Amino acid sequence: MSGDGALYRLDAADGECVVCLAGDWGRAERLPSAAGIHRDMGQPQAVVIDGSDLASGHPRVAAFVHALHHELDAAGVSVTERALPQNVDALVALASPPPAAVRQTQRKPRFLASLGARFQNQVRISQDAAALVGQALARTPALVTGRAQTRWRDFVDLVRETGAASLPVVTVVNLLIGAVLGFIGAVQLATFGAGMYLADLVGIASAREMAAIMTAFIMAGRIGATFAAHLATMESNEEIDALRMIGVSPFEFLALPRLAALTLMMPLLYLYGTALAIVGGMVVAHIVLGTPPIAFIERLQDAVAFRQFVIGLIKSVAFGILIALTSCYIGLHAGRNAAEVGRAATRTVVVCIIGIISIDAVAALCTNALGI
Amino acid sequence: MAELNPDAPMPEKGLVVRGLRMAFGDTVVQHDLSFYVAPANIFVIMGVSGCGKSTLLRHIIDLQRSDVGDICFDGQRLINDDPAERAMLQSRIGVLFQSTALWSSMTVGENVALPMQLHTQLRPPEIRDQVAFKLALVGLAGQESKMPSELSGGMQKRAGLARAIALDPDYLFLDEPSAGLDPITSQRLDALIMRLRDALGVSVIAVSHELPSIFTIADDSIYLDNESKTAIAHGNPRELVENTPEPRVRAFLKREPIDEPARESA
Repeated sequence: MSGDGALYRLDAADGECVVCLAGDWGRAERLPSAAGIHRDMGQPQAVVIDGSDLASGHPRVAAFVHALHHELDAAGVSVTERALPQNVDALVALASPPPAAVRQTQRKPRFLASLGARFQNQVRISQDAAALVGQALARTPALVTGRAQTRWRDFVDLVRETGAASLPVVTVVNLLIGAVLGFIGAVQLATFGAGMYLADLVGIASAREMAAIMTAFIMAGRIGATFAAHLATMESNEEIDALRMIGVSPFEFLALPRLAALTLMMPLLYLYGTALAIVGGMVVAHIVLGTPPIAFIERLQDAVAFRQFVIGLIKSVAFGILIALTSCYIGLHAGRNAAEVGRAATRTVVVCIIGIISIDAVAALCTNALGI
Repeated sequence: MAELNPDAPMPEKGLVVRGLRMAFGDTVVQHDLSFYVAPANIFVIMGVSGCGKSTLLRHIIDLQRSDVGDICFDGQRLINDDPAERAMLQSRIGVLFQSTALWSSMTVGENVALPMQLHTQLRPPEIRDQVAFKLALVGLAGQESKMPSELSGGMQKRAGLARAIALDPDYLFLDEPSAGLDPITSQRLDALIMRLRDALGVSVIAVSHELPSIFTIADDSIYLDNESKTAIAHGNPRELVENTPEPRVRAFLKREPIDEPARESA
């Protein structure tokens, strides 16, 4: 029997099987596998591997001899080698045998045990998250009075990155959201002849909900992911261990300035976003309904009460705190490899989006109950 | 032996570097580098930190490119725009990176298997045999299903070595193979490199500044100088240490303090 472009031949006689290797194994596209040959040879008592017809002693031959040896050893068949090229012999000798105890039996954990482990894990995560919030509350006074282990330079850089550098994307998104609100409102309100109330719709929706939420989504994707990936990379490079070793609290040095920067910048970005959304609605009102901008602004002043902005501002501060704490928590608790860095960034964005929507829903319930 | 006459015909076998100049922008790292690595030799690129050893290695394997100079493997240029020929040549080169660069999201076995899956037509059971053998060669038999993060530093180096020899290359490049390893592990790695060279007949080009390792493994070497920005010594380091006329090479190989002219006058 021969196969695979005549790379080998099996000669069986009297319970002994000779595996004659032949040809050029280095150039072959396909190779025989040890398990396949073991199947083909039936159940011999002894096997001889003969290399006298080989064109060259390619390392692939050694890999095959090594694999066949283990395959047959495991089946209790004696193996001898004959006329193998010298370097193949040397390579086979160099390959260490696998340790006998390597095959560990991995018992599948029971359902209840794994459920318990998961629950414990969730409890631990909640504890860690609560500890982080506690630390944030406890150390903020130190930050304000300048006693925290924070570099002023880092804080300024973070403010620039979260604030000024975010302006272009905040501009585009809020302008367009305002315009979209304007279009929907204009078409619907015009059918009732209530086009003049478009300023109410765009103004209240932007100030109370849309500007805060859209800006928070942008910041979760832009800044939250950056923070998490940055901190996770620092963790995997042992930079955070290095901070601990010089007696610096990673929370104060890394998380606190991020928390402060985001908490400061989010309300400002929200106000800027609200203004732009209103401009977007105003432009649409002018184009679709022919409302002059002056009339739109006058109507706006009557329609949008100051409390709408206060609600939006409070929510944007909450969103800022949420994004900063989530990204820092996930970044500082990420594993130490490249895949974990990407996972940390993705998880941050997902958790932040869910958190933003949840906070917004709770706020809507509360304001409704309070009648504001 | 390592010196190369610029007018000599290109040798058919072995690695030839001729007139190579490496630079980052206007900053020249090294210039006028010419040497020859004979088949099945262990060739060490020596020099102090920051002299451009790793940069030279990255130029030879075409991770970085230079406008000046020639690099040929067995008379063929790696810098080749024909993708098929390039892939052919790349499959004949194995690299062990300084940080091992094992793909952290794959098991050790998958790390070694991936080059074979990409460059050969072998089927999964055949690849399994090859992977098991390569890991056994470096003393990691049976560790296929471990993740790289579960291995110690020395084991990671050996796993990286198994991946580098996955395609049975003709040229094996090692960037600081013993960096960060203890003397015993480092000495074992040196022995492994020499045994693999003998058994596989592969040419090894290693970057190193670890003297014990250099004296143990090197057949031939080149010393890259930081000040003149070129190679100032060629040859077997065991001979260089006795008879090089260059004070900086002697200082490097003997770990002697260098006589600084500035300090003498002070």
